[in-house]
Amino acid sequence: MTKKILIVEDDIHISKIIKMNLNIVNYATTEVYDGLAALEAVKREKFDLILLDVMIPLLDGFALMEKIQPYRIPVIFLTAKNSVYDKVNGLKLGADDYMVKPFEAIELLARIETVLRRYGKEERVMEFHNIQVDLDKREATIQGKPVELTPKEYDLLVALMKNKNIALSREQFIDKVWGGDYYGETRTVDMHIKSLRKKLQLQDHIKTIYKIGYRLED
Amino acid sequence: MKFWQKIYLFSFLVFVLIFNAASIMVIERSHNKMLGQEINSALSQNMSIHSSVDAIVPILRIYDSIDYEKTVLTNIANEFVNKNDDQRIYLEIMNEKDRTIFSNADFKLPVHREELDKLSDDEIHYILRDVDQRTILFTSNITDINHKRYVFTYMKDVTPLYQDRVDQYRFFVKVDIAACFLYMLIMFFVSRGLTKPIDRLNRTAQVIAQGGFSERVRLKSKDEIGVLARNFNDMASVVEDKINDLERHNQEKQRFINNFTHELKTPLTSIIGYANFLRTTKYNEELFLDGVNVIYSEGKRLESLSSKLMDLILLQEDHFQMEEYDLRAIIAEIEPALKMMTKKKQVAIVTDLEEGRLQLEKDLIKILIFNLVDNALKASVEQQSITLRTYWRDGRYILEVIDQGIGIAEEHRDKIFEPFYMADKARTRNSNGAGLGLSICQSVASMHQAVIEVSSKEDQGTTFRVIFAQVIPKGGMNQ
Repeated sequence: MTKKILIVEDDIHISKIIKMNLNIVNYATTEVYDGLAALEAVKREKFDLILLDVMIPLLDGFALMEKIQPYRIPVIFLTAKNSVYDKVNGLKLGADDYMVKPFEAIELLARIETVLRRYGKEERVMEFHNIQVDLDKREATIQGKPVELTPKEYDLLVALMKNKNIALSREQFIDKVWGGDYYGETRTVDMHIKSLRKKLQLQDHIKTIYKIGYRLED
Repeated sequence: MKFWQKIYLFSFLVFVLIFNAASIMVIERSHNKMLGQEINSALSQNMSIHSSVDAIVPILRIYDSIDYEKTVLTNIANEFVNKNDDQRIYLEIMNEKDRTIFSNADFKLPVHREELDKLSDDEIHYILRDVDQRTILFTSNITDINHKRYVFTYMKDVTPLYQDRVDQYRFFVKVDIAACFLYMLIMFFVSRGLTKPIDRLNRTAQVIAQGGFSERVRLKSKDEIGVLARNFNDMASVVEDKINDLERHNQEKQRFINNFTHELKTPLTSIIGYANFLRTTKYNEELFLDGVNVIYSEGKRLESLSSKLMDLILLQEDHFQMEEYDLRAIIAEIEPALKMMTKKKQVAIVTDLEEGRLQLEKDLIKILIFNLVDNALKASVEQQSITLRTYWRDGRYILEVIDQGIGIAEEHRDKIFEPFYMADKARTRNSNGAGLGLSICQSVASMHQAVIEVSSKEDQGTTFRVIFAQVIPKGGMNQ
């Protein structure tokens, strides 16, 4: 089922770029540009998560937080302000995470995913064409038949599927699959990609993107 | 050693020295006087004995017998001694051969008596001598009886006099100790009292040194320390004012930096976000054009922000050449440019100008007018007009920029001159505004000793009024 995310951001451009990034990985989005409109939207529709800018007109982010607390919707703050006070205040009011502008799209996606998982809203089964990945069993199947994958290959496949249609660099793959303290060669990524393509017949879908890295494409 | 302790100790030492010296002098003087009196009375007694012996010499001459002489002299001596029985008086009579004829001394007389060595007739010698823990006054003279020389020694015990002196000293020591204690007690409080204000000053100085700049000394005395405290307080308030000024300045700067960071990060977030989106996702013509447009317009916004910022930085360095210009001529000069600017939105520029020769920095005044007209334009909708009006009133030259636009809400009016303040963020952003225009105007105005006033009614328009300082006739404005 598609997750619905409310974007509360008064800068139209930023709102739009967030929306585009979320849509491409199959989140549904609603954009509002001020605090009162956000409150209206929350009352009207059910959202799985709210991305909330702190400095918005009519009703600021902190005041809005207090009003929407009864709805128990996970909230991630977005702001250009990097002060400790805001961080503490935001988290105290029940924000689940905090992002300082400017931020990278994949970082935002990762945080959204973490928060959704914490609320038990994450999909435990992911699908891509005839491939199914069960996150609980750590198992990948093609048309119901299990595929032998090494743990790293499995993690790499999950990273590709979670960031579907977005190119990730080799460094980003290493960070997500091998962990931040891995200092191996980026060629390791190429080797694993190669074997994933072979094992899952994804030669046409895992694209090599010039000067960047790899992308899983529909 | 602390100051109060110094006062205490030195004054105490001086007191002890003077008090003791004076007391000892008084005691000694009175003792010497008493002794002198005693000696004088002894001498006169001696004289009286001498004269009473002299009186009977003619009788003795008639009998001319040593034994008789002896008897008579002994009788006289006994009579004299008995008369003065209560006092400790002693008499000794010796003949030429140093043999004692009479003596009632109850002590052993010394063998050698130097007072007798050079004794001659009609002379009395006296000496004080310590005998057996007693002090005896010896007075001696020679009396000639029948050509025989007899030595009469009259002695008096003056021990009580010395005893008196010792008593005096005993009493003095008691008084001395009591006086010293009393003095110590009084001086303790006096010296503490005198140095207490200094302690208080000291404590206040420490509090101030630790950052409590609003601390003051509370002293009301009119002496030197009171004056010092007042001067100290004056100094502290000057320092406090300076520090408050610095802090306010600092906060202003901090706010500027915070706002600036925000204004910088917002377009950067868009630019980076779109650029990254475009490079990491599959090409899609519509999204591509959208993205590139945003990158372009946000880039323009950054450019405008940086040029506004340059203006503002330039205004901070205040070495501008003011020259006399006619403001009407300047406005006429830039009118075509203003019209070009407003043409796109189909807003008309109306002018109603009086001549006004003022000391101006031409380029800055142009920036001021451009910014005010730009603001007016942003507030206006199509088919409205912007009026530029200049006129003299009460010796002041006034420039008005009047629009018929949306107006400024009451709550924003006192904040619009703050850097980066935007009454309507979305609208300002859409027209590439950075929120710096009016703070630039403010800086330019204050450089010309002018003030900016604003009056506005929502949905009816806004008037910005630049009121220049009163012109002082001829040469008064040259700086």
